[in-house]
Amino acid sequence: MLFDLVYAVAEDHPDEIAVVHRDERITYRDLVERVERLAAGLADRGLKAGDPVALLLPNAPEFVVAFYAITGMGAAIVPLDPQLKHDELDFRLRQSRVRGIISDDRAVGVCERIVAGWEDPVEIITTSTAHGHGTTIASLIEGGESRRLPARSPDEVFVYQFSSGSTGRPKRVARTHGNVRAEARTYPTVLGTVVGDGVFCVTPLFHDYGMTCSLLASTPAGAKLVLLEDPNPFLLKRHRAIELIEQERPTIFPGVPFTFRLLAEAPRDADMSSLRWCFSAGTALPQGVFDAFVERFGVPVRQLYGSTETGTLAANLDADPISTFASVGRPIGDVEVKVVDDDGEPVATGTVGELVVASPALTSGYLDQPDLTAAAFHDGWYSTGDLGRLDEEGRVYITGRKKLLIPVGGYKVDPIEVEDVLNTHPAIAEAIVVGVPGAHAGEEIVKAAVVSTDTCDQRDVIRYAQERLANYKVPQIVEFRDEIPKSPTGKILRQYLL
Amino acid sequence: MSAAAAIHSFIVEELLPGRGIEEIDHDDDLLALGVIDSHGIVELVVFLEKRFGLPVADEDLTPENFASIASIERFVRSKSDAGASLGS
Repeated sequence: MLFDLVYAVAEDHPDEIAVVHRDERITYRDLVERVERLAAGLADRGLKAGDPVALLLPNAPEFVVAFYAITGMGAAIVPLDPQLKHDELDFRLRQSRVRGIISDDRAVGVCERIVAGWEDPVEIITTSTAHGHGTTIASLIEGGESRRLPARSPDEVFVYQFSSGSTGRPKRVARTHGNVRAEARTYPTVLGTVVGDGVFCVTPLFHDYGMTCSLLASTPAGAKLVLLEDPNPFLLKRHRAIELIEQERPTIFPGVPFTFRLLAEAPRDADMSSLRWCFSAGTALPQGVFDAFVERFGVPVRQLYGSTETGTLAANLDADPISTFASVGRPIGDVEVKVVDDDGEPVATGTVGELVVASPALTSGYLDQPDLTAAAFHDGWYSTGDLGRLDEEGRVYITGRKKLLIPVGGYKVDPIEVEDVLNTHPAIAEAIVVGVPGAHAGEEIVKAAVVSTDTCDQRDVIRYAQERLANYKVPQIVEFRDEIPKSPTGKILRQYLL
Repeated sequence: MSAAAAIHSFIVEELLPGRGIEEIDHDDDLLALGVIDSHGIVELVVFLEKRFGLPVADEDLTPENFASIASIERFVRSKSDAGASLGS
């Protein structure tokens, strides 16, 4: 199981630093003890192997300890964005049929309201007693007994995550201990990660990118995880980010184009010479950002490719990435990538088609969604919905996407999910959501085109969305139209809404 | 409207909706509460530039300047010393 890898590091290097956050430096010995104690505390509260347990915490040591405690005791972790609004949380908690929730003060109130009427009681654990909640992570760690966690079966569910999709609500994905362990071994191996390395984490750990490329890329391999406290909004935190990089000298830095752009534009210079690997994912890295970062700091930003369903698929590890910066690199480890046409047949090298992938880290499908699973998963291969090509040397280039996802600040917004919400507005007859170019290359803005049946203005629409959707999904532009452009067959012509 | 009242009004009307927070005090930590996120900071900076006619430079973008309504007001006042108008 995954935690065996952490145990191995802790036995050989108990005094190495595992996690850095503010003034706190947690050794591997301390990390293991806290995890074991919390796992025992969760068991004492009635949680057991197989129970889904939601985790709504910011990037902090509590997240790391709870992550390993939940999965180490065999429960299935459900990492969720604490920014989610009531309806979004309600959907995810119900879909996952959670038996426990570990939340910070900000989200615990809404979680309590959601599960209040459930037939099966849900154990709620929080980070402080500030709002009258009795059971905290600290109290469970203090009261729990430190005993070695047993090995888990590769087939046990490790994590439930929610994937953006092209059809309606997010889809729930299960990944097993076998899936996650495969990734936690492969990714650090291809990067050459060793004890003494450091991973600088600015991406949310509840997101699959942060989970796989920061958390799983560090502690199971003996690297220290350097957490930037409260990284959002990054615009206000880049000074602190630079300070941390200079102090802690991490060697690996996974980010998104937005973070690298803001750092390249920072008003102060910085020593980033410790960084051996900088990776950008989430959306295409604009050449301007690549050039600006390498010119400012002398470190190339490499592209990386993965998804919730698959984990990390490819990374640009080229010795000289200047000429190949536009590529997300070659498939890592046992990952296979092929390019197929609309009939599913492989295309000639260099020809653009849909990317389909196979990986030991691949989920088996979408839970409770047999039709969607059948459409995307075939004989161990997953159709990513991304368009791309391979070069003669096997590098992958992403050229577009079949799915209608909008890249916003490192997130992917599913327009259908936003449309579903807007279409419940009493004065909206029809709403279509598209991504329009933002102020910087590679970044988009969510725009809603709306046909209204009654009086409503942009402010009404935005406020309605704000109350129901995480802020990054809320349209920034609302355009009122007499009708939505459609083809003679009724297909929405989104290109005329851009 | 005073600068503090204008800033308070903007935050309550534009950034609070949907967050489950009814009211906000001048010293509340807007970053810890998640009131100012990646989108909120951009909206707030645009508001400050338009409402008070002051430029917000890269160097100004620090948690200290945007942690609370009180600190935003102090920031606006310090910039206004360089010539911007605070309104009345």
